[in-house]
Amino acid sequence: MNAVLAVRQYVSKMIEDSGPGMKVLLMDRETTGAVSVVYTQSEILQREVYLFERLDSPNREPMKHLKAICFLRPTKENVELLVQELRRPKYSVYFIYFSNVISKSDVKALAEADEQEVVAEVQEFYGDYIAVNPHVFSLNLLGCCRGRSWEPAQLTRTTQGLTALLLSLKKCPMIRYQLSSEPAKRLAECVKQVITKEYELFDFRRTEVPPLLLILDRSDDAITPLLNQWTYQAMVHELLGINNNRIDLSRVPGISKDLREVVLSAENDEFYANNMYLNFAEIGTNIKNLMEDFQRRKPKEQQKLESIADMKAFVENYPQFKKMSGTVSKHVTVVGELSRLVAERNLLEVSEVEQELACQSDHSSALQSVRRLLQSPRLSELDAARLVMLYALRYERHASSGLPALLEELRARGGSDRYRKLVSAVVEYGGKRVRGSDLFSPKDAVAITKQFLKGLKGIENVYTQHQPLLQETLDQLIKGKLKDSQYPYLGPNTLRDRPQDIIVFLIGGATYEEALAVFNLNRSNPGVRIVLGGTTIHNTRSFLEEVTAAGFRGRSTESSQVPPRSSRR
Amino acid sequence: MASGCPAAFGDPTEVREGFLCPLCLKDLQAFRQLQAHYEEQHSGEDRDVRAQLRNLVQKAKRAKKKLLKQEDDDRTDSGSQEQYESFSYGGVDPYMWEPQEVGAMRSHLSEFKKHRAARIDHYVVEVNKLIIRLEKLTSFDRANTESAKIRAIEKSVVPWVSDQDVPFCPDCGSKFSIRNRRHHCRLCGSIMCKKCMEFVSLHLASKLTSASREALGSHTSPNSSPSSVHGSRRGSISSISSVNSVLDEKDDERIRCCQHCKDTLLKREQQIDEKEYTPEIVKLYEKLRLCMEKVDQKAPEYIRMAESLNKKILSLGLHEDPQPHPKILQLQRMIRYSATLFVQEKLLGLMSLPTKDQYEELKKRRLNMVALEAQGRQEEKQKEFISASAVNGDETHIKKGTVKKSEGWLPTSSISRERERADPLLQQIDNITSFIKQAKAANRIDEVHTLQENLMQLQDEYDQQQTLKAIELSKKQAEEEEIQREELQVLREKEWEREHHKFMSQHSRTRSLDFREIKQHLDVTWIKGDTSFETPIEQLPAKEHLTFTLKPQNVPQCDKDRDQPACLNPFEDEADTPQVEDPANPFAKDTSPVVSFSNTAQQSDKKEYNPFESEEEDEQSNGAPGSTSNPFEEDENTFEKPGGSWNSGNPFEEGSSVNPFEVEDGSEISGEEAIEEELLLQQIDNIKAYIFDAKHSGRLDEVEVLTENLKELKHTLAKQKEKSNC
Repeated sequence: MNAVLAVRQYVSKMIEDSGPGMKVLLMDRETTGAVSVVYTQSEILQREVYLFERLDSPNREPMKHLKAICFLRPTKENVELLVQELRRPKYSVYFIYFSNVISKSDVKALAEADEQEVVAEVQEFYGDYIAVNPHVFSLNLLGCCRGRSWEPAQLTRTTQGLTALLLSLKKCPMIRYQLSSEPAKRLAECVKQVITKEYELFDFRRTEVPPLLLILDRSDDAITPLLNQWTYQAMVHELLGINNNRIDLSRVPGISKDLREVVLSAENDEFYANNMYLNFAEIGTNIKNLMEDFQRRKPKEQQKLESIADMKAFVENYPQFKKMSGTVSKHVTVVGELSRLVAERNLLEVSEVEQELACQSDHSSALQSVRRLLQSPRLSELDAARLVMLYALRYERHASSGLPALLEELRARGGSDRYRKLVSAVVEYGGKRVRGSDLFSPKDAVAITKQFLKGLKGIENVYTQHQPLLQETLDQLIKGKLKDSQYPYLGPNTLRDRPQDIIVFLIGGATYEEALAVFNLNRSNPGVRIVLGGTTIHNTRSFLEEVTAAGFRGRSTESSQVPPRSSRR
Repeated sequence: MASGCPAAFGDPTEVREGFLCPLCLKDLQAFRQLQAHYEEQHSGEDRDVRAQLRNLVQKAKRAKKKLLKQEDDDRTDSGSQEQYESFSYGGVDPYMWEPQEVGAMRSHLSEFKKHRAARIDHYVVEVNKLIIRLEKLTSFDRANTESAKIRAIEKSVVPWVSDQDVPFCPDCGSKFSIRNRRHHCRLCGSIMCKKCMEFVSLHLASKLTSASREALGSHTSPNSSPSSVHGSRRGSISSISSVNSVLDEKDDERIRCCQHCKDTLLKREQQIDEKEYTPEIVKLYEKLRLCMEKVDQKAPEYIRMAESLNKKILSLGLHEDPQPHPKILQLQRMIRYSATLFVQEKLLGLMSLPTKDQYEELKKRRLNMVALEAQGRQEEKQKEFISASAVNGDETHIKKGTVKKSEGWLPTSSISRERERADPLLQQIDNITSFIKQAKAANRIDEVHTLQENLMQLQDEYDQQQTLKAIELSKKQAEEEEIQREELQVLREKEWEREHHKFMSQHSRTRSLDFREIKQHLDVTWIKGDTSFETPIEQLPAKEHLTFTLKPQNVPQCDKDRDQPACLNPFEDEADTPQVEDPANPFAKDTSPVVSFSNTAQQSDKKEYNPFESEEEDEQSNGAPGSTSNPFEEDENTFEKPGGSWNSGNPFEEGSSVNPFEVEDGSEISGEEAIEEELLLQQIDNIKAYIFDAKHSGRLDEVEVLTENLKELKHTLAKQKEKSNC
């Protein structure tokens, strides 16, 4: 069930199969991302892969002494490019791996192009997704839906990505989907179709309890991606943006050259692996410890090297030391930048109000808090809009809604029109009308009891009160209490036992807050393994883009001039 | 999964109080567990119960507020995961999930191969057809055949498409007319317009056809087919095109063909070109990997062994009652210290590859070197071409070398050793001079400056080295000369008598050879002397002697003559290799005897000479890159007396040099006889080859001399045999 390991094993296998000798890895845009998140460059160099090339890069030199490992998506363009490549081969031998099911006709086209007999292998290795963490994967697709239905190309891609994940984890699941979402149903059907068509591929060893695929829709929970985050991974993504484990720090004032772009990968960064789910305060402490540890080690390295043991220790530890110093400077920079942004944007205060909006139901105090913050000049445009959006979602149908006044204030602050329009667009995207489950007010007694008990316990951390809806949904699923009426099975069969291996997929993108929730569920439920996937992994900005791309322009409540539909997106 | 809760249930025999579930009355011991239990077990039950529960919970809240608070305090340290703790009975961190097998995969290779095989068969047939036709088209003498006849032949190779069938050019679509005439592809018979027409040059044609033939040849030999991917199928091309014919016309005519045929042929040509080409980087890379593997293998073993050995040495005798002598302890410490130094140098040295800057510099230097080398290689090739028969000589040289080495320390080896030592410096100087030239040409004055500085340093270094050597040599000489002289004198007299005696009684031959033989014989004697004294420096008297024996004029004359056809062979024989190796001197074969002769003359004139003089000469001659090493070598030889004097005698030694050995060894060391005989035979072969060569190039006078020599050699051989028989 480890997505990262699955892709890693594929890549290792490819390299092994090609035998000794110098190699070049030939990829396309997407597989480059897929490989880069699971393998570091130094790791792959150790295995004699010295060059990385894009199949579509125009002027590759012919290098007949290299073996080419091609890891490509089976798209029309790639097949076409590969046909060209094989007609005039640039490398001595080609080991071709497609990241998904390839059609027989494409195989034939390739075979016929291979007049020089340079192809030594043609295989399907299903690494067709970005394995962000062992339990999190993404397809890096933005704008998967148009209105309430799929963008056809994106549906195909999502089906491929999801089936590839199932194949790479060797799971042939039962499928449940969110009834209120049309896209969820479509995707479920498409996946089922592929499983039926490629039944030979999906013929895995049966487990006692079959795995379960749960397909959900982001529009059911538009709150989570709008909140500021305080755990390390989520916070970095929210404030700096993580793209295939890379963080662009070039906008950080006074950044040194080699820290312009840093990689945060839990696979080979111990500090990150240990701290990615801790909150900001804890990270502060840990960074301090890391620094101290580093300082302590430093002078020790400079002692005399006179015995072989010393020498050995030095030789062994030196790379670690180097790595550690790299890690220290990286995390110090990242955390430093985070705290700078937190102070600059007054995020502690903003987040408190966000959490109040998301988790409590005191309308007047919430409205007051939002109003108060909107007056603050330090509030960034995005944060201001975000607060109003949260308010709009939370008190959408409240009798004495202060929304028009808030929008007016937003306008008075002088931001661009875009964010104001987005407020209504977000409501349209994830408002009450759309939601299949109740995001805010729990209906049944258990939920009420729970909320009640929470109140009685007191709040532990004001900034991390919010629990994503997914947590609740999965919790119920694990306990076998998720309602069939809301989340029906596809096909006649239903699961009688409680599910053990769960793959949950969010159309419209997951968030790192949800990744954390799934992580915790994994840790707290013995025998249960959950993998979370999404068309992408959102922060607030990308989520708003997603909403825009879906074509919700928002009926501006205060102004009648609406741009034509086509001009959006 | 279903067991998410049971672990929390308390012992049923306990008193029923505390956190009892209102529905099943199980004791859950803590408020949290109760909550979890309730959610787990009873959430689906009807509303009444729920209401009841709500009531109960409220009660619980009031009643147990205190306790709860306490508990909460206990739990705060668990941080953000707190809310899950209620049922955390050992879920697994996703990073700790048990290893999984590799994901699903599916191979299309067999299908791919099936399609490819079909295609390749087609392709191979296509290519072979073209090549066979090409062969037929080029198999006759195009230049001397009438055009009508050529046309007939061409038409017979492939039927031409009739003109009426093709009103438009199939490639570009233009209409044929009187001005836009039709052209036929000679390879497939199709029609195209002039614009679309291509040509296959005869050169390309012969390359393609002969390559197919070669492929056939190599296919039958066991160590063929270097690339396994291309395998038997490539053979199929050649097997069809086995219809061989001689391609001997050299005219510049071309064969008309269409673009498609040309394309196919060009592809085939590319394949041929790539087949046996392995770039330098691959060889180097493979070597590097091999080294790395070895280090990988050996390193742990070394570390283990060295560690235990060191420990043993250190702790040696430490536990004995009378403590060992402090000096012994010191010895142990010092051994350990030296081992440490070794590790510091060798093991840590492993990590330091050239830095980026160094790498760039090295690369630059290397580039220049390669350019030079290429130049050198070319010239060498030319020389090789000239001295095509030198191979035989090489063999003899090697054998002779080994024979002589077995006898003791030889000046020959001293020369080569000196050369080796001097080489890097000289090379460096050469390189830098050429860099300077290049830099000057490119107008990079600052570089020229730095380079010149480098050159100066190098030259200084070299001067120093040479001076030291010379001083050392002369010192040694002065010390040992006296003693050696005396001893040698005695020895020489004895030997002289003996040899003289033998020679007189044994044979009669031409005078020139006699002299040479005597000289050779003496040389041998000196070598013998060497072994007995174990010092190389007693060549001086030998030289005296040598010059004396050389006086008869016909000797050098004869040798010079012989040298010409045999070119470098005699020099190679006796390690005077600089001349052979000197790439810049194509005239070596003519000049070298003269040079060496003059050397001898020089030597004989002044016994003591100034090394600095010769160095100055060196530097002057240094100006011309490429040829520099040669004069250096020469001069070195000259002032290094042991090498030089012997060396200068070499040209005269030549093929018959073995004779005296024979004569002497025959009487003394019969064990080496066989080898000597072999050498003789080889020498005879060589001379035969030279004669052939000389005849071929019409140098009749040389032939004469050579035949004479040959006779002599045969004569010696016969005599030797006779001797060994009795």
